[in-house]
Amino acid sequence: MAEQSIAGAAGRVMTADGDRSARARFVILLLGLALALSVFLSLTSGASDASAVRVIRDWFTGAVPVDAALAARDQLIVYDIRMPRVLFGVLIGAALAVCGAVMQGLFRNPLADPGLIGVSAGASLGAVAIIVLGTTWLAPVTLALGTLALPLAAFSGGLAVTFWLYAIATRQGRTSVATMLLAGIAISALAMALTGVLIFMADDRQLRDLTFWQLGSLAGATWPKIGTIGPVIVLALSAMPFLSRGLNALALGEATAGHLGTPVQRLKYTAIVGVSAAVGASVAVSGGIGFIGIVVPHVLRLAIGPDNRYLLPASALLGASLLLIADAVARTIVAPAELPIGIVTAVAGAPFFLWILLRRRGIVDL
Amino acid sequence: MIEARDISVAIGGKRIVSHVHFAARPGEVSAIVGPNGSGKTTLLKALTGELAYSGTVTLNGRDLSAMKPVETATLRAVLPQSTALSFPFTVREIVRLGLVGGRSGVLPGEDARLPERALARVDLDGFAGRFYQELSGGEQQRVQLARVLCQVWSPVLEGRPRYLFLDEPVSSLDVKHQLIIMNIARDFARRGGGVVAILHDLNLTAMYADRIFVLHRGELAAAGSPQDVLKDELIEKVFDCRLKVGALPAGSVPFVLPQSAA
Repeated sequence: MAEQSIAGAAGRVMTADGDRSARARFVILLLGLALALSVFLSLTSGASDASAVRVIRDWFTGAVPVDAALAARDQLIVYDIRMPRVLFGVLIGAALAVCGAVMQGLFRNPLADPGLIGVSAGASLGAVAIIVLGTTWLAPVTLALGTLALPLAAFSGGLAVTFWLYAIATRQGRTSVATMLLAGIAISALAMALTGVLIFMADDRQLRDLTFWQLGSLAGATWPKIGTIGPVIVLALSAMPFLSRGLNALALGEATAGHLGTPVQRLKYTAIVGVSAAVGASVAVSGGIGFIGIVVPHVLRLAIGPDNRYLLPASALLGASLLLIADAVARTIVAPAELPIGIVTAVAGAPFFLWILLRRRGIVDL
Repeated sequence: MIEARDISVAIGGKRIVSHVHFAARPGEVSAIVGPNGSGKTTLLKALTGELAYSGTVTLNGRDLSAMKPVETATLRAVLPQSTALSFPFTVREIVRLGLVGGRSGVLPGEDARLPERALARVDLDGFAGRFYQELSGGEQQRVQLARVLCQVWSPVLEGRPRYLFLDEPVSSLDVKHQLIIMNIARDFARRGGGVVAILHDLNLTAMYADRIFVLHRGELAAAGSPQDVLKDELIEKVFDCRLKVGALPAGSVPFVLPQSAA
């Protein structure tokens, strides 16, 4: 209690001994429970009155439903619509938040996001190319890949731009994050100009398609798409915990991180490849979902501190929960139609972020 | 022992350090002195492998360029001139980073309390819960020293000496803390480790260094014990300033030397 009042009086001291790991573990536990709750709510709520609880109970008990037709409909809604969508939300929310935190650690800047390494611009270019040219120049691609053509094009676009940037910024085995940042602005502008040319060529229907794609949505969730992006995201995210100690050391600067025994170049390479793969896969299937990658790590740093050993798992849990909640809002607020989720995250995220910044201003410099 | 032979460093085509020979023995404090821009920090960065150099650097007989970061991290710790942070770490979290890659050398169970012990060592008892960014420059410098001490807490590990590289460790400190920090360096050397420090204060250098390396325009102007090196002619040539070693101020002008500390 005394410790709390000291903290309250100073308004800045987190714990008397400066060790926030116990608090961080507790917060992670809470976030785990919050995610479980969000998953449950997302499975049970929606435009239809299908009951996930009943479907799951029937499945477990082997009970024969009274109304077979209704049960079949509910099963379809829960298994084939809500479940893939919830999985999408969890995977993409976790990917965006963790990748935001990793980028911020790598660039040593709390405002960094994956857009800085060109992955968003490249993915956007790939997606728009398929939307606009899919029936003409790129018709063989769309024919061969079907509905996977768009996500695969977006994924390859994001990866291609990131590797190009990485090659530009690397000299004699050392990657300059400053060069990457500046070259990233130029190359993103170039990719956006090309996207602009494609938009100029697009007809009205294509314009509508690509506008909606850019606003972001989880509506495209299907089991085959999860089969494609799921492994990519899971693999990329499972590499991230191994970066957490190195990213902590990197907060002291690249030279000092090296002196502390961190293999800095390998850390940068792994972080960049992992982030571009996870974000590329996310953007490919969900379009542009903003603010998760900046708001989630920022809020968590205020709560548990910047130690990446706790920040990364906490970001995954909070990012997944928030995206599920945003998606639940997006698909129920104007039901039976649905709002693009990018609008929801921006409308909720931007004012919240401003409030956090203004409230904390003058206490800790970002 | 740290041995550097024929070290040259060029940055952007301009040669900053030319053909410098350097050796730091365990059990000794080796000081690097010289005017601003004489290449002291550049030489230190070559010795720690932070900058590309020509010549050879060996650490306890092993070629530095062939060692992995994790191997060098167990043999030496480096204190930079200043460290800016972009995230709100507490003092304890910063000091704890010293335990990330290296090996402190204390028993496994003692590691957990090492940050507090290191902070007490640099006279920052009770600062563990403060935010690093709120501290003064001198306090931040001492937090960083505590972190560096954690990394090589035992000056000798498994029979091999370890080293501290300190780039102007006392430049932003008051005189009391200058003495505390220099005593830590000397104590580290007495217990079998080696210390390489860039210093500006010639009196502190004379008081604590066992061996002085004087840099002038990127070249080694002199090397040896304080008695051999700190001479009127050398100081005038290197620092471009006519000073007399051991001369007292005229009249009743007071002067205070660190050597007078009780």
